[in-house]
Amino acid sequence: MRILYIDTSSSYLYTSIVEDNEVLSEIKEEFGQSLSEVALPRIVSMFEDNSLSPKDIDKIIVVNGPGSFTGIRIGITIAKIYAWSLNIPITTIYSLEAMAISSPNNTYHVPILNARRGYVYTAIYDKEYNPILKPCHILLTDLQEKLDNIGDYEFISNDEFDLKVENYTPNFAKIVSYFKDKENINPHAVNPEYLKLTEAEESKL
Amino acid sequence: MKDIYILGIESSCDETSASIVKNGVEEIATVISSQIDIHKDFGGVVPEIASRHHVKNITMVLEECLEKANMTMDQIDAIAITYGPGLIGSLLIGLEAAKTLSFVYNKPLVPVHHIAGHIYANSLVKPLEFPLLAVVVSGGHTELIEMTKHYDFKKLGGTLDDAIGECYDKVARVIDLEYPGGPKLDKLAHEGKPTYDLPVPLKDDSYNFSFSGLKSAVINLAHNEEQRGNVLRKEDLACSFQKVAVESIINKVRKAIVEKDIKHVIVAGGVAANNGLRDAMTELCAELNVDLSIPPMKYCTDNGTMIAAAGYYAYLEGRRADLNLNSKSQDTLK
Repeated sequence: MRILYIDTSSSYLYTSIVEDNEVLSEIKEEFGQSLSEVALPRIVSMFEDNSLSPKDIDKIIVVNGPGSFTGIRIGITIAKIYAWSLNIPITTIYSLEAMAISSPNNTYHVPILNARRGYVYTAIYDKEYNPILKPCHILLTDLQEKLDNIGDYEFISNDEFDLKVENYTPNFAKIVSYFKDKENINPHAVNPEYLKLTEAEESKL
Repeated sequence: MKDIYILGIESSCDETSASIVKNGVEEIATVISSQIDIHKDFGGVVPEIASRHHVKNITMVLEECLEKANMTMDQIDAIAITYGPGLIGSLLIGLEAAKTLSFVYNKPLVPVHHIAGHIYANSLVKPLEFPLLAVVVSGGHTELIEMTKHYDFKKLGGTLDDAIGECYDKVARVIDLEYPGGPKLDKLAHEGKPTYDLPVPLKDDSYNFSFSGLKSAVINLAHNEEQRGNVLRKEDLACSFQKVAVESIINKVRKAIVEKDIKHVIVAGGVAANNGLRDAMTELCAELNVDLSIPPMKYCTDNGTMIAAAGYYAYLEGRRADLNLNSKSQDTLK
């Protein structure tokens, strides 16, 4: 089973083609301002490196958020168009799940993304990656309160925080093997999970 | 010659649209998903909300378009995409969709400037004749463009500040018309008389326009009337404003027709639906004896059909883009 993995939710492009737990190609690239210039060309380069054509993919796993709104939309659009056009099974996962599952440490995992103004996108996963706190947009101080009862945990992030954080590097083989059997979604229904309303909508509340 | 089918994709503002056009002139199928009711609540297009809806709609719009056309992607010769100008977050959805289809089906990708689309909407109605003057009037643009042959654009002039459509919407707000107020203002203008005195902007020798001064003049006038305790005659204000706005366009169009020896005038963009402008353009072109094309209402707003039509001529010109094509919020038509 050959799986294409796409995560464009941060300032890094993370993409990989994994075949039966073996990573055929992987890209971990900080892209600056030009995600839309590099995302698809880099994905295509993985196909070229392995002499694969678009229909040689059996499943797509795409990160639907949280993270950069524009970034998520770019990855989601590529993935849903691809899946829809060739009728390829597709499923979505949270960026936070990918971060937790990539961790080599035997502890509770707390991936955090800076959502500005004191807020973070976060979740709490136990050692078996079950969500103790589902992905959400909350104040960092509120998260810290929730962590009071949990003894051993790690923060995972590539953002700057005044906390001890483990840097995130995706382990594509681990992520893909964990989610390879996750239920497929109709491509039309593959959409970002922003976990936050737009400012215009918030100001109407 | 073999027939050429172009799939056009447009997502530069608040409409997600896909269309298939044959040989640049024959519309096979078009789907437009408009968000106008969503943005109405916010008094204008909210870029982040627009982007969210584009990504939600994009595959459904494409699927419905292909179904309507009873075609498959394999029968498409090239994919034309609006790369700009427009709202960057909105543009990116159509762009990534077009690029992904280009990769998956190994089809050429043809970049199309949004304004080229508005101009070529006219070729779906009548062949273009050159030298041609395109009067581009919309919520984001007010430009005069000269064309001496297909897909060759020379900007003669444009607005120095607000676009005419933007000015219409803002003035409409002054007289409490709900967004999008431009068309409502146009309608109201026909019920009034031009009794209020407003200045015709930028009466100079250039091909440029200016609408922010006119907008301010309307706001001041409304304010002063209120201060004096006078009842503002909204229909008369609408009529006075429309008369001046249209006159400022007509003055420069007249100058261009005469100086550039224009044979064919086309009106393009959302404000081409404005009746005041349509009437004045018809009168002017009859007087100067030049052909006039105004696209039917359905082609005046943003749609994939015009992008596919323009894309056909761009395709014939050999214009192609790679998968690293990026969206541009601003870009000169060339």
